[in-house]
Amino acid sequence: MTDLRTNFAGIELRNPVLLASGTCGYGDELAPFLDLSRLGGIVTKTITPEPRAGNAPPRIVETAAGMLNSIGLQNPGLKGFIDDKWPYLAALDTKIIVNIAAPTAALHAEMAARLDDVEGIAGIEVNISSPNMKDGGMLFGCSPTASHGVIAAVRAATRRPVIAKLTPNVTDIAAIARAVVDGGADGIAMINTLLGMAVDWRTRKPILGNITGGLSGPAIKPVALALLWKVHQAVDVPIMGLGGITSAEDALEFLVTGATAVQVGTATFVEPGGAADIVAGIESHCAAAGMARIGELVGTLGV
Amino acid sequence: MNEPSPTATDVQVRVVATTEVAEAFFQTRLEVPDTTIRPGQFIQLRPRSEQSIYPFLRIPLSVAAVDVQQQTIDVLYEQVGPKTTALRHLAAGDEVGFLGPLGNHFPTPEPGAVPVLVGGGIGVPPLIYFGTSLRVHGYEPILLVGARSANKHLPDRLLAPAAADVRRASDDGTLGHAGFVTGLLHSALDEPLPSPVVYTCGPHGMMAAVARLCAERDVPCFASLEEYMACGFGVCVGCVVERANKESLPSPYGHYARVCIDGPIFDARQIVW
Ligand SMILES: Cc1cc2nc3c(=O)[nH]c(=O)nc-3n(C[C@H](O)[C@H](O)[C@H](O)COP(=O)(O)OP(=O)(O)OC[C@H]3O[C@@H](n4cnc5c(N)ncnc54)[C@H](O)[C@@H]3O)c2cc1C
Ligand SMILES: Cc1cc2nc3c(=O)[nH]c(=O)nc-3n(C[C@H](O)[C@H](O)[C@H](O)COP(=O)(O)O)c2cc1C
Ligand code: FES
Repeated sequence: MTDLRTNFAGIELRNPVLLASGTCGYGDELAPFLDLSRLGGIVTKTITPEPRAGNAPPRIVETAAGMLNSIGLQNPGLKGFIDDKWPYLAALDTKIIVNIAAPTAALHAEMAARLDDVEGIAGIEVNISSPNMKDGGMLFGCSPTASHGVIAAVRAATRRPVIAKLTPNVTDIAAIARAVVDGGADGIAMINTLLGMAVDWRTRKPILGNITGGLSGPAIKPVALALLWKVHQAVDVPIMGLGGITSAEDALEFLVTGATAVQVGTATFVEPGGAADIVAGIESHCAAAGMARIGELVGTLGV
Repeated sequence: MNEPSPTATDVQVRVVATTEVAEAFFQTRLEVPDTTIRPGQFIQLRPRSEQSIYPFLRIPLSVAAVDVQQQTIDVLYEQVGPKTTALRHLAAGDEVGFLGPLGNHFPTPEPGAVPVLVGGGIGVPPLIYFGTSLRVHGYEPILLVGARSANKHLPDRLLAPAAADVRRASDDGTLGHAGFVTGLLHSALDEPLPSPVVYTCGPHGMMAAVARLCAERDVPCFASLEEYMACGFGVCVGCVVERANKESLPSPYGHYARVCIDGPIFDARQIVW
């Protein structure tokens, strides 16, 4: 038996497998298919200061080995989250990381401060990377200065570990990673979706109501690994790797490349119980390889 | 019939047989562990092995028939792309991932009401199961079916269990009423039916026309919507439809309802067409 326990930026995880923001809602709809206590944790769907309606449909379309989404952060807002969603999450036997986004650095900080009063939250993941938010998200995450500003503001407002979630839609992701670490990020999650588009040539119209969306699923795994490798070399904080993970082997590849933990995203739509199978698979692969602790694998890529 | 919806399970099931029932329209029979499925609910099938990643997402399909004795269900689908092609080529005995039953179900009409089922194209399957179930409960539904042309119409033997009174329309006039199925609905609603209730499933434009007609005649109308789906159980918030009466909602968060879990069946007056 390999010890899968993982400390991620001070968060004690049962194992290094979490569910990614926006792919597990606030936990309740998944419970019939997946025992959430088998996982290291879950990252909740992004919440914003006020409730949001999200983008006009169609919001999703399948593409080669993946999908595009333009949900546009439909969410109940900070208060709706605390009043209606948190009680269910608080009772779960797994770590809950709350993902936030806002139009300004100050509003990010206000959210983090308010969440500091809520007992039981394991960490704050800051979404500076959504391609579907016209007044935030990727707007911040594409600039080292803006990323630094948001993360520093959140860091100053909360006692909890702060995880910056990065976008792949940049020229130099290492520069962004250094900026968020300089701003006080305790960890990094990467990657959010890649900007993408699907077109119907017959109608000469885009398929998504929002025209563009975010690409996720197996198609983006090689991109995620390459960027993880760059960031792992650039900074010393722990990294949660994600992007196209569908199997235990995929997860192990991320760990070897430098991720301390991983998140399972789009794969849950197809295999709602799949993340628990990934945990079991990691356990059996590592046991077979004679590893005492999962940490022995992290960042061991030989180049 | 208005019991709560059964809980969904994620299992592997076996294909019993696949047959072509109309041009490029297939019926696949699946052996399932539990046939507790309410009319109007749907399932998400994964017609590939877990090792393969193509086609990646599951395919949402309505349940068209349930055989409690044989422990089988039928899906009826038109071959339009990768997933319907993969499903159609599965052989008897092959395994397919089965997630379901999902979504809500058709509401039962008041005793004595006449259910008018209006289906077009790939929207006909859920109405077959619903009609069959209504008849078991003593209703005499009327089934109105539209298709592009005669060779796209499902055969009588598949529609007969759903209604004694089946009326057909085809866009090109090769079978039944020449024109849209809404023409048939016009005539049906002109008849002196005791409290008609309309249930519809089909292309968006068709359902919108049905909803409009019902609103004009003050006839209740329930529509089973189809949207692109990723998860099918409510987590991705991808499959949404815009709600009417947004002013009455507590926050903008509720402007869009999820077809997979808040639906697929909606009171036609509660959504924006
Ligand atoms: C709740 C629900 C129940 C359904 N029940 C049935 C059924 O009983 N029988 C049946 O034949 N089909 C049904 N469908 C539609 C079916 O899921 C799609 O036809 C199927 O996903 C197409 O997959 P594909 O890979 O073969 O084709 P694709 O290449 O994905 O699509 C082929 C064409 O169909 C269109 N399309 C694909 N998915 C949808 C969708 N969800 N809504 C509207 N248009 C779409 C595409 O725009 C494209 O033009 C249902 C859909 C939903 C959401
Ligand atoms: C439908 C959908 C909704 C998403 N919503 C969010 C979100 O609200 N916040 C966020 O930070 N990331 C969101 N993401 C991005 C994922 O968390 C993840 O970063 C991305 O999909 C890549 O991982 P994957 O390929 O495993 O899905 C969303 C992804 C999808 C597919
Ligand atoms: S398909 Fe995911 S919420 Fe409906």
